[in-house]
Amino acid sequence: MDGDLILVIVVATALAFDFTNGFHDTANAIATSVSTRALSPRNAVLIASVLNFAGAFISLKVAATVGKGIVDASAATTTVVFAGLIGAIAWNLATWYFGLPSSSSHALIGGLVGAAFVASGTGAVNGNGLIEKVIVPGLVAPVLAFLVAGIAIVAAYRIVGRIRPGPVNRGYRLGQIVSGSLFSLAHGTNDAQKTMGIITLALIAHGNLSPDRFDVPTWVIVSSAGAIALGTYSGGWRIIRTMGNRIIKMDPAQGFSAQGAGAAVVLTASHLGYPLSTTHVISGAIMGAGAAKRVSAVRWGLAGNIAVAWVLTLPAAAIIGGIVYGITEIFGNGALGPLVVAVSFFGLLLAIFGRRLNRGPALTAGA
Amino acid sequence: MIGAIDTGKLFELVWAAGLAGIAFCGVFAVAILGVARVTDMRQAGRGAAAALYLGLSVLALVAFAAAVVFGIAMIVQK
Repeated sequence: MDGDLILVIVVATALAFDFTNGFHDTANAIATSVSTRALSPRNAVLIASVLNFAGAFISLKVAATVGKGIVDASAATTTVVFAGLIGAIAWNLATWYFGLPSSSSHALIGGLVGAAFVASGTGAVNGNGLIEKVIVPGLVAPVLAFLVAGIAIVAAYRIVGRIRPGPVNRGYRLGQIVSGSLFSLAHGTNDAQKTMGIITLALIAHGNLSPDRFDVPTWVIVSSAGAIALGTYSGGWRIIRTMGNRIIKMDPAQGFSAQGAGAAVVLTASHLGYPLSTTHVISGAIMGAGAAKRVSAVRWGLAGNIAVAWVLTLPAAAIIGGIVYGITEIFGNGALGPLVVAVSFFGLLLAIFGRRLNRGPALTAGA
Repeated sequence: MIGAIDTGKLFELVWAAGLAGIAFCGVFAVAILGVARVTDMRQAGRGAAAALYLGLSVLALVAFAAAVVFGIAMIVQK
């Protein structure tokens, strides 16, 4: 009975994380398209959510790799996974509140690392895996995207610089629909699978599925795809505004170069088995496209705040995950701990959001 | 820490992603240049130049479409 209840709580929390993942990362695919008026905000979120949904059905290979090589599999109990998810959701919502783009994947890994560390000590965390899969890609992604988008926009201005702006802007706006769609599809394929992987691991740990084969049930695929698509459709407008307008004021050529160069970097890296955060890549690319035109065009203070949020993501989510695991332990090994934490956490969120809604427009309204 | 970093793979990532990103944006810029120049050349009565630019824009658009298809294939195979 206790095990069943924990499983239900973990599945619901994983889907809630999936929703915040879509909600938080909508900006990666649509911020530049909305900012340059390539797409209306409504159409942009609709296309992004449909492609995120479709992307979730394309492949299941990533689902089997959640936390692999970073957290010891034997330490990843359902309670550890639950605490890690709460850490990731809390950090996603905090960065969204301040309009700062940050990696949902790094938040999830951070939450799991913190919870596993509190549960089983240092032996549960693979430091080399953390460096190889999180820290190095986290440093490489924004710098590489910055340089590639910067060179790409300089080349683009050289090629189309003497043409009337009308056809150039129209062309780049069309191109942005293509590059934004590629981003959304890649995001749905990659990020929805993390939730599928977590739910499947919980089902295996609970004994519902065989540990010998990693078969993701259809209801898990459909619910994960639905949660990320719904989150994407809800649109995290605070982050969209930051990435679309506040880092730089971009023209359609810059928007396309940032998104096109970013998509190429993400897909090439993925092809080489070097997964990079789409958030880090697109943020770096936007800064690169702005700085290549004029260094002072980039609001470096804001860029610094974003970098600080990236650095803090792993430790902050880890601390929250660790604290949440510690609180659940106070109530023993049963379902009571996760139940109390889940009810308190989501009740607190409901109270905050409910009060905001009563005060006026929803936090997410308007582009 | 250095031991955990596969420097060969990292170097490959830098040059391959750099080349892909610049090429992807470059061919699209050439396509826009071609399409815009076709109209200009037609209006100026320069049929041969218009045909050349049309060919250039078609080639660039095919290359761009091929890059998009390759990108989707990479997503599907992941």
